[in-house]
Amino acid sequence: MASVLLDRVFKTYPGGFTAVKGVSFAVPDGGFCVLVGPSGCGKSTLLRMIAGLETISDGAISIGDRVVNKVEPMDRDIAMVFQNYALYPHMSVYDNMAYGLRNLKTPEPEIRARVSEAAKILELDDDMLKRKPRQLSGGQRQRVAMGRAIVRKPAVFLFDEPLSNLDAKLRVQMRIEIRKLQRRLKTTSIYVTHDQLEAMTLADMLVVMNAGRVEQVGAPLELYERPASVFVAGFLGSPPMNFLDGIVEKPGRVRLTGGGELAYDAAHFGPPLGAEVKAGVRPERVTFSNDGSGLPFALELVEELGLGQLVHGRVAGGDFTVALPASHNAPSGEAQHLAIPADAVHLFDTKTGARL
Amino acid sequence: MVENRPFGNILAHLILIAGVLVIVFPVYMAFVASTWDPATIANGKLGLLPGPYLVENYSRILFEGTGRTTRAHVDVMLLNSFVSAMIIATGKIAISLISSYAIVYFRFPLRMVAFWLIFLTLMFPVEVRIYPTYKIVADLGLLDTYAGLSVPLIASATATLLFRQFFMTVPDELLEAAKIDAAGPLRFFKDVLLPLSRTNIAALFVILFIYGWNQYLWPLLITTRDDMQTVVIGIKKIVTVQDALTEWQLAMATAILAMLPPVLVVVVMQKLFVKGLVETEK
Repeated sequence: MASVLLDRVFKTYPGGFTAVKGVSFAVPDGGFCVLVGPSGCGKSTLLRMIAGLETISDGAISIGDRVVNKVEPMDRDIAMVFQNYALYPHMSVYDNMAYGLRNLKTPEPEIRARVSEAAKILELDDDMLKRKPRQLSGGQRQRVAMGRAIVRKPAVFLFDEPLSNLDAKLRVQMRIEIRKLQRRLKTTSIYVTHDQLEAMTLADMLVVMNAGRVEQVGAPLELYERPASVFVAGFLGSPPMNFLDGIVEKPGRVRLTGGGELAYDAAHFGPPLGAEVKAGVRPERVTFSNDGSGLPFALELVEELGLGQLVHGRVAGGDFTVALPASHNAPSGEAQHLAIPADAVHLFDTKTGARL
Repeated sequence: MVENRPFGNILAHLILIAGVLVIVFPVYMAFVASTWDPATIANGKLGLLPGPYLVENYSRILFEGTGRTTRAHVDVMLLNSFVSAMIIATGKIAISLISSYAIVYFRFPLRMVAFWLIFLTLMFPVEVRIYPTYKIVADLGLLDTYAGLSVPLIASATATLLFRQFFMTVPDELLEAAKIDAAGPLRFFKDVLLPLSRTNIAALFVILFIYGWNQYLWPLLITTRDDMQTVVIGIKKIVTVQDALTEWQLAMATAILAMLPPVLVVVVMQKLFVKGLVETEK
């Protein structure tokens, strides 16, 4: 059990490329932290730095109350689950799980006890323990990889996109299992993913990264409801947030560049008058108005999801998506009008992308 | 693809059978020759059937020595060949495993220089560097020893390259997982890399054993004592005689015996050998 602290961490590669640019955040003891961002944002590099597989160019990483910058991976009291599982192909499942403990000179009866305990948690039966990794399915391999991490009883679990090699259905199932497992073991965990849904559902604490920097840190819902930047707003949520360009005309009102007006909650946003803004609206907060008032919406396509519908079209010269629950009927006819409540509108600075 | 073309099958088998005959017939003739007396062979009366001298010929080369030219028994020659081929094969594998491990997994100064130097030696076979090598071996007092027969042939660029290519296909995550699993460099080598290279090692062993067994020029140069001769040299010596009938029956019997160990190695390791050439376990 330990907290993890990152203090202005940098990673610069010998070629001069800086992958991580001054990242700071703290994961509390027992917390589940998810690093999320598009590929190339530095999240995996950061995780590997925490694991000790990459050197730290500048800044400090602490696990517990110990700075681990110069500590070897094996001495950091961590365990890592890799994207492609990284199981030793020539060892049985049992030996895969026992290998780390054997290297640490753990007595054999204790190893046996820990492996069988982990196997029970992960529902791996005795027959499976005798098999080689290649005789297992993807989901089973993933379990073994997690078992290898569990038996070590580390202070911190590190997960590097562990579910991305699994098919969609299994991914959802394993996601739930990982969450349950972490709740049960209460081990501090850091999890890297590019899948925002995985990030939202797993995290106690979400760290959104972009281009080597942290965009925002916080609880998933907080980030969803109060994104600090256009990037976070656009990254979290599926379908993503709609953005409309405009200029603040008077408090509470934005004149859209493509025509039309949008009301926003002046109690929450205080942009200077005349400022150029991006107005963000989540697809699920929008409905179609019946009386012909509101923003004109040119319907282009309706996607039926079963769970609901996605209505794609154009508003004020830009693409716009509306997510309707299943109980609603999709509008018929090309010309529609949108009812957008004022409290659904987020305002961001067009130039800096920051929340206003 | 499942095909059922009887004619194609028959044709393929005919060609294969023809190929087998071409290879096997001379070997069979060698065996037949080793069972006759020299007069029959010299007169060209050798038929297709084995003669009555099988036991005599073989017991002569094994227990009495081969007579005029090579005084040593063939079993001594076989032992010499076997020992030096084993040292060459295992030595080559051991050294190239270690050197390719260093080249692939460690960052040290002049790493690429070291790699290219090894690579360059591919272009200098034993024959090219034979004089300096002979000089060194002679100065070290290794003439007529097993060390002299095998050590100069051990350094191997081919095997090093082969293992290097193999190591580079081993996923980095395995190394990283091992690092986190508290395995140091030696443990990783012993517990992960070596077992993964098992089939490659077996395939190489077969090739290198035969390479060592078939050495001709080098043993010819550095062995002078009869009891250090290898069997390949022995055959040559039996064949070259002056002012007398070549004892072909003895030469052929020796050749048959000389053929057996490599064949045995191939047969025993065939499964691993094929596996090593066609598949990798990762």
